[in-house]
Amino acid sequence: MTTTLTEGGLAGSKSSGGVKVGRPSFLWSLPAITFFGLFAIVPLGVVVWLSLTSWDAIGSPHWVGIANWKAMFSDPIFIKSFRITALLTALGIVTQTPISLLLGVWAAGYQRNRAILAALYFIPLLMSAAAISIVWLSLLNPYFGLPREEHWLFGGALFNGGFLFSSPATAIGVLTFVGMWQWTPFHTLIYQGGARSIPEVLYQAAAIDGAGRVRQFFHITLPQLRNTMITSVVLMLVGGLTTFDSILILTQGQPDTSTTATSYYMYEKAFQSFQFGNASVIAVVLAAVTMVVSLIAVRVSGWDKMRSTQEGM
Amino acid sequence: MVSSRKWLRRGTVTTAAALASGAVIAVLGAGATGAHVTATAAASSRPANEIQVLVYGDAQNSVEKFAVAQYNKTAEGHKVKAILNTIPGADYQTKLQTIMSTSAAPDVFFNWGGGSIEQFQKAGLLLPLNSFFQQNPKLKSSFLPSILNAAKIGDNYYGIPMRGTQPVVLFYNKAVLSQDGVSPPTTWSSFLSDIAKLKAKGVAVPIALGGGDQWPTLMWFEYLYDRIAGPNLVTDALAGDKSAWNTSASKQALGYIAQLIRAGAFGPDKSWDSVKFTAGQTAPMVINGISAFELMGSWDYSTIQSQGSTATGTNPPNGPGAAFVSAGKLGWAAFPSIPGGKGNGNDLAGNTENYYSVLATTRYPQAVADFLKIMYTPAFVKAELAIGNLTTTTNTPSLISGTDAGWLKWQYNLVNHASHFQLSWDQAYPQTDSDTIHTAVANYFDSLNSGQFISTMEGLKPAA
Repeated sequence: MTTTLTEGGLAGSKSSGGVKVGRPSFLWSLPAITFFGLFAIVPLGVVVWLSLTSWDAIGSPHWVGIANWKAMFSDPIFIKSFRITALLTALGIVTQTPISLLLGVWAAGYQRNRAILAALYFIPLLMSAAAISIVWLSLLNPYFGLPREEHWLFGGALFNGGFLFSSPATAIGVLTFVGMWQWTPFHTLIYQGGARSIPEVLYQAAAIDGAGRVRQFFHITLPQLRNTMITSVVLMLVGGLTTFDSILILTQGQPDTSTTATSYYMYEKAFQSFQFGNASVIAVVLAAVTMVVSLIAVRVSGWDKMRSTQEGM
Repeated sequence: MVSSRKWLRRGTVTTAAALASGAVIAVLGAGATGAHVTATAAASSRPANEIQVLVYGDAQNSVEKFAVAQYNKTAEGHKVKAILNTIPGADYQTKLQTIMSTSAAPDVFFNWGGGSIEQFQKAGLLLPLNSFFQQNPKLKSSFLPSILNAAKIGDNYYGIPMRGTQPVVLFYNKAVLSQDGVSPPTTWSSFLSDIAKLKAKGVAVPIALGGGDQWPTLMWFEYLYDRIAGPNLVTDALAGDKSAWNTSASKQALGYIAQLIRAGAFGPDKSWDSVKFTAGQTAPMVINGISAFELMGSWDYSTIQSQGSTATGTNPPNGPGAAFVSAGKLGWAAFPSIPGGKGNGNDLAGNTENYYSVLATTRYPQAVADFLKIMYTPAFVKAELAIGNLTTTTNTPSLISGTDAGWLKWQYNLVNHASHFQLSWDQAYPQTDSDTIHTAVANYFDSLNSGQFISTMEGLKPAA
């Protein structure tokens, strides 16, 4: 991303000497390339190699060719895990975007109570994902948690009688809810920043033209937040594809395999069953899918160009 | 969601690090000999003047802290310090397996004997303790031979008992039973009628089950298979006879389990999936009378005792759980017998013992030997007994005393008279199978699909 912006900046600048002038030498990117190579490319290469071996973490891996790949692509749980991952990601985006957008825009204002309330809303952001999941695991215990205290609400079929981790639908619901609770503050912060940078004159002009709050929101705030929204959604997308910690603590892929998302299945294969070959197949596929999805998102949304929303002002 | 991305990265990096050490072994020569060469070469690269002790992290760590402190007070301990590390329960075996062939491997580590250390032994990672025994015969003679034998592979001993024997027994809330006019069950039929009576009196979940963890569910299979088919079925299956799972005795055992589930003994259908033992959720169910029974390893005594406790360090637990136990409200019974079944009513299932095994590459074998000596000292045995662990030292019977004496003596007799002690299936089978076993038992409880359970068990690789 940084490189693209720099290039754009250089091309746009008035230095007419062509590419030779002003462009930093390749040497400058060496630290970044070394770092990326060492911690991303090399491990990825190792994982590709490992996916062609059989290894249980003790002793040395031995070559099995594409046996792991064949086994994984005929594994129904693996195939299903992609559907679950897609569902969790979609639910995450659909639930978190409206809430964080509204909260973010509200928090960007200058109301008297804003600072205190906004600070409270940001508390989940300070807690680790593991801590949040453990807290909700206790709060949602069917015999001692909220489902028992608030039986009028949880007792019905909608919440599976309060046994939230016992049915696929409610287990997915719990993961979505906890994800929302955990990540909304982060995205709210992004939207707050975006909303703060919208020039006040636009609202003043709209007010003179007689636009009310709602129209101002839909005709000024929302279009001006376009790039912010793309940033937030791409982060949700990539984060959603690799959701892991909350599944590990809250549902462990259960009931049956209804919350076994791809990244969790990879963990299960590697660190529960010690089939590092099969786990590496999942890792490679997951890395490839995440890369393709992010590329598509960037292209389709025009994030790579990132045109200013304030052109002509 | 940015931080969840890190997880994927971290997984990859760990894999790469673990792999690098695997590659070193491969370079130095294939097979166990190669591993041994690396092992010897690596001894000097281990940390200086310390031995790392790794144990399963839970409510019982206070005694392990005590043992380490005792050792550090000895002459050897002044030269080479012992450092205690813990890994929280559910992740223990996972993390151990990933670090065992790296430089982060512990010098001395907690395990369950049997299948849990067999792979390490094969990879040449374990130090045979025979030389320790020659040097200090008391290290051998102070423990019950049958228990030492459970961590013996070939002619070599690999484990020193370090906690207690942990049979799985039926815990119950005495108050709930007596107020509903129910007596502790001795046979399967009396157990079923107890459940029916409790249900009729409004106990919605007669048996607390941490189904979300899956392994507590396995205990029901271990006992019913033993009682109905006898110990041989599992012994045969472990030896590679896959047809054992498809016998009529196997199907009968599954039928008995289904009977219990259909009677609503574990609460509404699948409700158990929302409960976890490891999150401390079943102990309060028994204490508060939501449930009458819990089938659990003997460690549940200290789990129940420390429920809601705020005590730290070696202080005795002070919460509602401690009050429940000291008021004599906690009851315990052997698993009911099944007349007509092939298994003896005295048979036990559970963890034979926990052991300390020693890394072959340890830099300070003498320090390790001195540390292991602590395990049979009266002070250590008393400390274990005080938290409800039944040590397997020969001096144990003479040291049992205090408020928990009844529980410990009852257990001691149970273990002494057991005609067969079945090691938990997930520990008897290789570690690579344990996830499959857990999923199989959990799915059976949810679906009662015996065909699926049998075919999954048939698909397991036999124990090596």
